[in-house]
Amino acid sequence: MGWVTPLGADLEGVRRLIESGVQPRLQSVTNPESGKEHRCFRVPPELVAHLGRNPRLRRSSVISYFAIAAALAACEDAGLVLTPETAARTAVIFAVSDGGVVYTRKFYEQVVKQGANAASPLLFAETVYNAPASHLAAQLGIDGASYTLVGDASAAIAALKMGEQLLALRGIDQCVVVACEELDWILCEAYNVWRLARTPLSEGAAAVVLSGGGRCAIEAHPGIPFFRQRDAADALRRAIDELPGCGSFDVIVHGDNGTFIDKAASSALAQEPRIATASAFSTKRSIGETVAASALIDVIFCALQLRQIGAGAGLVPVIGFNHQVSAARITCKPQ
Amino acid sequence: MSSTTAPPRRRVAVTAFGVVSPLGLGAPANLEGLIEGRDAIRPVAQFDVSKTRCKTAGAAPPFPEADAVPARRRLHRASQMLTAASREAQTMDPAFIPEWMVIGTTSGGMSCGESFYRSQTTRIPLRERAFLLANYMPQKAVLDAQAACGFSAPSQIIANACASGTNAIGHAFMLIRAGLHRRVACGGYDALSEMVFAGFDSLQASTAEKVRPFDKNRSGLALGEGAAVFFLEEWDSALARGASILAEITGYGISTDNHHLTQPHPSGIGPRMAMERALASAVRDAAEIDYINAHGTATAFNDGTEGLAISQLFGARTPVSSTKSMTGHALGGAGSIEAAFSILAIQNQFLPPNINYLEADPAWNLDIVANRARPARVRRILSNSFGFGGTNASIVIEEVPGKGAAA
Repeated sequence: MGWVTPLGADLEGVRRLIESGVQPRLQSVTNPESGKEHRCFRVPPELVAHLGRNPRLRRSSVISYFAIAAALAACEDAGLVLTPETAARTAVIFAVSDGGVVYTRKFYEQVVKQGANAASPLLFAETVYNAPASHLAAQLGIDGASYTLVGDASAAIAALKMGEQLLALRGIDQCVVVACEELDWILCEAYNVWRLARTPLSEGAAAVVLSGGGRCAIEAHPGIPFFRQRDAADALRRAIDELPGCGSFDVIVHGDNGTFIDKAASSALAQEPRIATASAFSTKRSIGETVAASALIDVIFCALQLRQIGAGAGLVPVIGFNHQVSAARITCKPQ
Repeated sequence: MSSTTAPPRRRVAVTAFGVVSPLGLGAPANLEGLIEGRDAIRPVAQFDVSKTRCKTAGAAPPFPEADAVPARRRLHRASQMLTAASREAQTMDPAFIPEWMVIGTTSGGMSCGESFYRSQTTRIPLRERAFLLANYMPQKAVLDAQAACGFSAPSQIIANACASGTNAIGHAFMLIRAGLHRRVACGGYDALSEMVFAGFDSLQASTAEKVRPFDKNRSGLALGEGAAVFFLEEWDSALARGASILAEITGYGISTDNHHLTQPHPSGIGPRMAMERALASAVRDAAEIDYINAHGTATAFNDGTEGLAISQLFGARTPVSSTKSMTGHALGGAGSIEAAFSILAIQNQFLPPNINYLEADPAWNLDIVANRARPARVRRILSNSFGFGGTNASIVIEEVPGKGAAA
């Protein structure tokens, strides 16, 4: 497991800070058109500065830096050394909600303000959703399966499910799953208009290495689409019921972010006997809303909490903004 | 992607499909366009192209069904196209209920994102701005199509650039083949947008001239748009419920070329590995393929590497064409649209043409289906899609035994 968050990149250090409710320094981004300021949490640049000499990243946006930093940390944590032989048996799955929004906005701004003939092709190349996955595959030397999945926060759980599927196909031995987001003023503006920015928006990445072994196991729900926000609670109830394994949960990490999601989750979890004695946490109360990356940060935080208590089962319910409701069950064996 | 302990291999049937492209709405209109070799690339009317070199694209025709349903009238064009393709497939096989959905796209509802950006400097009601955001997200078209068909399946939305549509079909195929699912709806979509149009123009990948894939004097691509959706089902399951089987997906290959974000390795190793893996997955030799629906964007880089890779693997014995010469390049929708064209080619035993073709490129030796559709015995087709980020995908589509011309 690995991550890059506004609180740092050290697994145990960030876990402790989140557990204690510590928040990073609140910053702001300004909409240059309206002058409006938005609160946000940003990743300290020094956390990814060591990647600055990578030629593939020379012109890329920070989203690719976050993705590679988290993935390399996860590979190191898993003891995965990518040789040509292991790389041939490794897949990359990248999950994102808003993609390379910084370069997308900048490129379109050039089209609008300077004319299409003045817009930079260097920016455009990095606007594709799969640019970070491409840089990551190049960094790891992977020439086989590389997938980028998009959606709301549930995209991260869909990526875990895809990892499970690819492993079941038996063509690979391990899968690096990364979820990532970057911040831009237009994104803050968008979530504000959408009334989904009650918790400050954030940026960063989380990554896990999936394989047949390991101390922790993740079982990802396939997801349930919801067409109206009021259907989210029922969908979450169903998702939790459909998770394999019916024992109680020791840890729950839910996605409180001050929106309809809280009400839906509260409603679905209020009658859930399996979480009656679970310790409850919310990473978003510390490090904000990182959309797709948040869901994977929650999964990692849950696994770390389980490691901390020695063993057990954890629940990460994920209600996306406008796509799917999902959930993941994380179990950890005693060391 | 080889394995020493391969999972059981189930056969994968296509029981229905729907397609929207610049050639028309629905399979019959597209078939007619393919047989005619119609050039559907026209001057762009949707946005300002006064400052771009390229001024043409392939646009899908208007949607009478969407216009007739008030709830769908305001949907983004991407939603309308994916919904129309899904509804056509549903009409072909009304009993099909997907357990899973895999859809490819590159830009989702990008034009709504453009309008949202522009709304920062213009007065637009808050409600309208929220509508733009909701319709910008790539998942919106998938949810709209599910709602229109009464489906409620988990979905994976693949954004592997221009390979997305083929990746979606390929992944769905693998899920069924391995027995993880019985029924999967899959496909891809993308709609024209100013931002993407300007992007390809800035890269000098698009042309101010005719689109001439594999021609010595090719000068670039024209963008297109569209959607295609397929209902894939485990063979015995489809037979058991009496579903009509239109074609069989038998192979899928994926590769990642790490050479450069937007340029393939000049050796053609990326496309070649995807094609080799697809053939291995289908347990077919190159000599058994009757036609290749090439990615064929008509850019120097793509055709240079794809032409070389095809030439190395197949020589001149397998006919090749790029239907993008007629439709333009529909990005995340392209692979799915071209898979639909491939099924039409199998069903109607012809090879779709590569129009605007004037002069062979001496860099390779290919049998290009030049300018006119060609009647042919078509049992097996390889369809290619390659994208930015070095994503390469190929699938093998086969005739249903007993349904062919010679059967």
